[in-house]
Amino acid sequence: MVDVRFNDVSKRYRVRHGSRRTGRREQEFWAVRNLNFDVQHGETVGVIGHNGAGKSTVLKLLSRITAPTAGSITLNGRLAALIEVGSGFHPELTGRENVFLSGSILGMKRREIAQKLDRIIEFSGVDQFVDMPVKWYSSGMYVRLGFSVAAHLEADILLVDEVLAVGDAAFQIRCYERIGELRRAGTTMLFISHDLGSVEKLCDRVMLMDHGRLVASGAPRDVVREYQHLVASASVSDVTDEGLSSASGVARITDVRFLQPDGHDIVSTCTGDPLRAVVDIDVASAVHDAVVEVFYYSRDGRTLHCQQSTAISGEPFTLAPGRRGLEFTCEAMGLQPGVYSIGASIRERAGAALVDWWYGGRALVVEPGKSVRGYFYAPHEWRWADASSAAETRLAK
Amino acid sequence: MSMVVIRPASSGWLHLGDHLARLRDYKDLILTLSLHRINVRYKQTALGVLWAVLQPLLMMVVFTAVFSVLAKMPSEGAPYALFAYTALLPWTFFSTTVGSATNSLVTNTQLITKVYFPREILPITYLVAGAFDFAIGFVVLLGLMEWFHVRLTLQTWNLIPVLALLAAWSLAVSLVLAAAQVRFRDIGVALPVLLQVWMFGSPVIYPLSALPERWRLWYLLNPMAGIVSSCRDILLKGTAPDPVPLRMALIVTAVALPLAYLFFKRAESTMADLI
Repeated sequence: MVDVRFNDVSKRYRVRHGSRRTGRREQEFWAVRNLNFDVQHGETVGVIGHNGAGKSTVLKLLSRITAPTAGSITLNGRLAALIEVGSGFHPELTGRENVFLSGSILGMKRREIAQKLDRIIEFSGVDQFVDMPVKWYSSGMYVRLGFSVAAHLEADILLVDEVLAVGDAAFQIRCYERIGELRRAGTTMLFISHDLGSVEKLCDRVMLMDHGRLVASGAPRDVVREYQHLVASASVSDVTDEGLSSASGVARITDVRFLQPDGHDIVSTCTGDPLRAVVDIDVASAVHDAVVEVFYYSRDGRTLHCQQSTAISGEPFTLAPGRRGLEFTCEAMGLQPGVYSIGASIRERAGAALVDWWYGGRALVVEPGKSVRGYFYAPHEWRWADASSAAETRLAK
Repeated sequence: MSMVVIRPASSGWLHLGDHLARLRDYKDLILTLSLHRINVRYKQTALGVLWAVLQPLLMMVVFTAVFSVLAKMPSEGAPYALFAYTALLPWTFFSTTVGSATNSLVTNTQLITKVYFPREILPITYLVAGAFDFAIGFVVLLGLMEWFHVRLTLQTWNLIPVLALLAAWSLAVSLVLAAAQVRFRDIGVALPVLLQVWMFGSPVIYPLSALPERWRLWYLLNPMAGIVSSCRDILLKGTAPDPVPLRMALIVTAVALPLAYLFFKRAESTMADLI
């Protein structure tokens, strides 16, 4: 049985530019174009794609927040969106009152909320403060309570937006458990996420969107891989900071490549795997006592990590004129699964100014490898702290 | 299991029955949100619900001082304070409802861009909250009538359809302004002035009889004229309301409300994109 059917759905947005004096121009773009897909009953489907690919529009169309421009969407059963609606909270009301408020905004009946009230409060972990106005809540409590209400929606079809980033690790685990519960209960689910790791883990099928169209649909692993290639090949040069690029012309970084042990270029690696990279530099005149750095940026533009070459084989170095390739290796790459943009720079240790700065639109895709929680993986190993327990376990074997 | 088909905005918005059926599914939300409005309106005020009593009373005192004592406005023989209050009660309901309902969509942007529910619920809840203030104001009116020795008559029952009309007209205006406000924020800026002018264009500070006969019919195209003067007829004179103003108000509202609702529903489909 089909629970969700998109039948040739398109959505056009109009963007207005200019003021009355300069003359108004209207620009239109299709956020979603001729989209056709079905979701079967009980299926968990992930929707991935880079920003602007049309994922959120799909979500908005499904939840009726906005109407399609053409086509039709058929839904079989009650649909609810698992989104954090702490924004629907009223600061003067107590936590308990706000559960009723946001519950009914999400479409629950009062009776239903009353029945689930205890469970919702327990799930959120704010039980002690539930009769206190939420304006005195910490932001974490606020968000957790808002999310708990959503997590207890009863729906045949559940939309899950990028919400699982809510709360601390313990709360996130609880959320994943809750989603597993709903999934086992036969709820049809649509996941809309950037988090490739969890999409791959949770979904039966993944759909890839690009420029408002569906470009792939199939087994999570295959589609996620396809996405990674799409990202790696696409230019992200719109993020380039012109103020910093090509500072002096003394030396120019032409590329940063990641390599397999056998020397082939790669676009993806796994958390905890060894990483080998080459920075290609065209040097016009010598750069003395050079420092070369490689940066890893998250999608929201934060610098997550930087590898700095202060020395080669223990010696300060000079970049001599010509075409140079600087290679670095690290034993275990610590970044979490995700897509990272790559940047690189050259400077002289003495001078503060950059010789060159490069942002060529390269991305490094990191796939789930060594399982980690938290923000990064650090190479490590375990051993017994004392000899006697080592001996005992050896015997037990 | 219920099947829902989502279609483009241009089709289906004329189906009044469908809209109303969906609205009925959300009656719990209307109830919860309305209670919430009432609940928070006077939160963290020292006087609390007393404000619902004080607001119309203070207005009455000011109006009496200015228009009766200074300007010698006629009041058809009734004490001016009572004369003013009987009109201020429905007028305040109208102006606070329209005022808050017009902004109801814009102030709830986060909800509108995140969750779906029939958007008319937002203005409706402000209407219900306004009705709560009205009820308190009405109790005060009973006290005032006792004070001025004006008796309630059996005609008072006629107030029920008049108040229903008041609610319907307030809703019609709220729906149109709220939907228009999403696209043109000018509405919100112009609203206080509009309401002020509107009040002087309704028989709030003066009696309907003060108006020259030849303007009367045009004047009555404003349903607030018929509604306010009917309230006065019923409460002060103890007679049945004058049929002409009331009928005019009824006709205008009966035409305006469905149109307003359809206009709102047409605008609803793109609200989240524009807001």
